[in-house]
Amino acid sequence: MTNKVCILGAGSTKYGKLEEGIIEIALNASASAIESAGISPNQIQAGYISNVFGVADKQVHMAPVIMSNLGLSHVPGLTIESACGSGSIMFREAFANVSAGFYDCLLAVGVEKVTHTGTAQSTTLFSYCSDFFYEGGNGASFPGLFASIARYYMSKFQADETDLASVAVKNHENGVLNPKAHMRKKITIEDVLKSPVVASPLKLYDCCPFSDGASAVILCSEEFAKNSGRPYVEVIGSGRGASPASVQGREDIATIPSTVMAAKQAYKMAGISPSDIDFAEVHDCFTIAEIIDVEDLGFFPKGKAAKAIRDGATSLSGEIPINPSGGLKSKGHPIGATGIGQVVEVFDQFTGKSGQRTVKDAKIALTHNFGATGASAAVHIFKKVE
Amino acid sequence: MSTNEILTPRQKFIAAANRSKILLNKCKNCGHMMLETVIYCEKCYHKNFESTEVDGIGSVETYTIQSVAPEGFEDVESYAWVVFKLDNILLRTSGFLPGIMKPEDLPLKTRVRVVGFNHIHGLVLEKTIQ
Repeated sequence: MTNKVCILGAGSTKYGKLEEGIIEIALNASASAIESAGISPNQIQAGYISNVFGVADKQVHMAPVIMSNLGLSHVPGLTIESACGSGSIMFREAFANVSAGFYDCLLAVGVEKVTHTGTAQSTTLFSYCSDFFYEGGNGASFPGLFASIARYYMSKFQADETDLASVAVKNHENGVLNPKAHMRKKITIEDVLKSPVVASPLKLYDCCPFSDGASAVILCSEEFAKNSGRPYVEVIGSGRGASPASVQGREDIATIPSTVMAAKQAYKMAGISPSDIDFAEVHDCFTIAEIIDVEDLGFFPKGKAAKAIRDGATSLSGEIPINPSGGLKSKGHPIGATGIGQVVEVFDQFTGKSGQRTVKDAKIALTHNFGATGASAAVHIFKKVE
Repeated sequence: MSTNEILTPRQKFIAAANRSKILLNKCKNCGHMMLETVIYCEKCYHKNFESTEVDGIGSVETYTIQSVAPEGFEDVESYAWVVFKLDNILLRTSGFLPGIMKPEDLPLKTRVRVVGFNHIHGLVLEKTIQ
């Protein structure tokens, strides 16, 4: 890393079932980020786009279309796909380009629109993100893959369905406080346990929703941020990791190696340890994922997170608040946008825009987002600039 | 398909599955065993392998039964997607096990075997008689 990289502006659409087309959704979030940063569009030198299923809304080659519709047809764009981790992995590439000095200011926008395809087609589309020869092609859906991970974890560490439900209840509590969340509804442990089984042992409320939405941020050099005279957030750590693409290939199905690898790199770059993190936005596509994430990120020893979550350690007022935004579970999971949406939450938290879900006295935050069952992952660490 | 045709690694894997076998690659450099579909050794990155087949039999390590199936599986009344560990080797593979209605039908460690490869349902398994 050479130059310091900062976030100068951020914006999201509401997550949920949206009427606009995919390009309009991306433009709305982009304009919101540009206005949040107080910059003129002509200061943007490049566009980084993350998206997975543009083809479902009849659009691929997304970057130049978005840039053209922003009135920036002369600005080069790049589209990056890495399943549900597309946003954070695209953010990493955008970060690297500013850090290397190629650009002083760029737009990073993640977008997805899938709800119009319906549950059956969405289930099929998502199965294409698996290692299809071994997983989707043998009948595994995405809830099914995480259900198999959950069954393994529960057997290994004697966790139960109430442990899983505790994650959902906590994230919905936070999501109620987020006006842009898809599922703004408080739920109880009993609601989760009584909800229909989607893929045993996971129930409906163990699963994030299919969502439409977009999130965007403006990344810039420290000099650019300082000259703007506006509030900004510094990116102090970045890591990427990889795992065997299929669940069967993991040495331990109860851990996600890409998370461990990415976190190690990000902590090293930031010069901090997990105990220095004040809150984290993690990839809770299913409740079991959050339990595994917070162990792999080093917040809890292996096999201990389920009890800690049940005891409130990850609630907004807990020792390490996890997913103050509501996470994928309640805020929603427009898969190409999710990783950028996490950065938006950090920006809002650190610039006084997170309302009642603000984590008190937070100064250092972490985002974690992975693709598929964790075949690809990125972790970033951010510092509040006073 | 003529026996003179050169099969791709996946075609070879499928042909073996249709004989109830799992095709493996044994690295000639370090001895590491992998599924046939991997083309460089995961441990030493050499490409010289010896093909070897093992019986497609093992024990269930984890699985799920889904209420919404992906395309191609909607017509199956109920099935499990299963990850199982092959006998006598530290390797897992995954497959489609029809006829599983509820978790009680498939305790962990249940013995399963490969019965073939179906172009719609992939690697098809059955429970072995205990």
